Amino acid sequence: MNIKKQFKEGLITNNPVLVQQIGMCATMAITTTLFNGIGMGLSVLIILTCCNVVISAIRKIIPDEIRLAIFVVVIATFVTIVDLLLQAFVPALSEALGVFIPLIVVNCIIIGRAEAFCQKMPIGPSFFDGVFQGLGYTCVLIIMCVVRELLGAGRFGGGLIDVANGFRLTLDGTGGGIQIFPETYGASILSLPFGGFLTLGCLMAVMQYALKKSAKKKEAAEKAAAEIEKEVEE
Amino acid sequence: MNKILKLTLVLFLVCAIAAGALGVVNELTYRRIDAQQQAKTVEAFSAVMKADGYEEVGFDSAAFPTVNSVNHATNDAGYVVTSTFSGAQGNITLAVGVDNDYKCTGISVIEHSETSGLGANAASTGEVGVKFRAQFVGEDENIALSKSGGSIDALTGATITSRAITGAVAESIRVVKSLG
Repeated sequence: MNIKKQFKEGLITNNPVLVQQIGMCATMAITTTLFNGIGMGLSVLIILTCCNVVISAIRKIIPDEIRLAIFVVVIATFVTIVDLLLQAFVPALSEALGVFIPLIVVNCIIIGRAEAFCQKMPIGPSFFDGVFQGLGYTCVLIIMCVVRELLGAGRFGGGLIDVANGFRLTLDGTGGGIQIFPETYGASILSLPFGGFLTLGCLMAVMQYALKKSAKKKEAAEKAAAEIEKEVEE
Repeated sequence: MNKILKLTLVLFLVCAIAAGALGVVNELTYRRIDAQQQAKTVEAFSAVMKADGYEEVGFDSAAFPTVNSVNHATNDAGYVVTSTFSGAQGNITLAVGVDNDYKCTGISVIEHSETSGLGANAASTGEVGVKFRAQFVGEDENIALSKSGGSIDALTGATITSRAITGAVAESIRVVKSLG
């Protein structure tokens, strides 16, 4: 397991949302503004990394029979910590994400990674797995937010960028975003949960197409190499 | 038997450590969270009715189960009513200003867990939220959504939230009327 391979897996070939297809509920629910997407993505990244490290560290002393119960306790602890910290220091984000922060407890990305990866792997790789899987999740959220916000409300960077009082970044979620075309022309259905399904479906299709294509390319290259080898032998 | 004991012990230890960690974090954050909640309530009150202070008054809590408190503005401008009722996703806590002619002077959402981008717009500081809340100013207890024959336009994709808030505003005006 090297870092480069893990990076590629987390972001592309084993992306949690587009390939493993886990953690979809929050993905569809909160990707309406860029502010929400980045906030949720980073929260998951932090929680996932912490949980991965802790679970990997205690993997040898956890009895197999109660491992799920212990995973859930560890995950719930970190989620509650992040929830309290957000409420105290970034109340706008905690309000915008609402119930979806506490719901990270049952987000299958975290328990999925714990079960599939950390309970067998040492701390180092588990840490990077958390970071890269978290990044992969964040990337998907950002793409979905940008698409849905643009087509649904004609806006870019809602909550994060304020142009009304000069161009600046707002970290408290009050920025109105950049209005690219009037909101009334937007297909507001894309801001609804239905639009979440639609956007996610299209993204997945693109991803599967790209993955298949690259797999075919690899196969073709291998075939060509084998043929050349054969010719050389002859 | 030993196995069971071991499992229990491990799980207990993990839970104890987790509880300890949570206690520490809670200790570090609860003051800030409380202060923010307090500041939000004060802000909400002054947003719906300008006054130097508010005095809580009694009301018939059996007849108005959703109402939390009725506060008389010290400058006699009217009352601020807070109520908690169920929205589309969870409970909404709302502050409603009611003047002496039993008209709404403004509403402000103190707490909610509505869907981000839809029902949550009722509380947002953006254009959509401001416009939505401004509609309530000057309305009386017969307030209703435009699809029910009233004059309040519901938020896009958030009819349940809009209806709940409209109902709470009417209830708030009625509780002030009941005070006489």
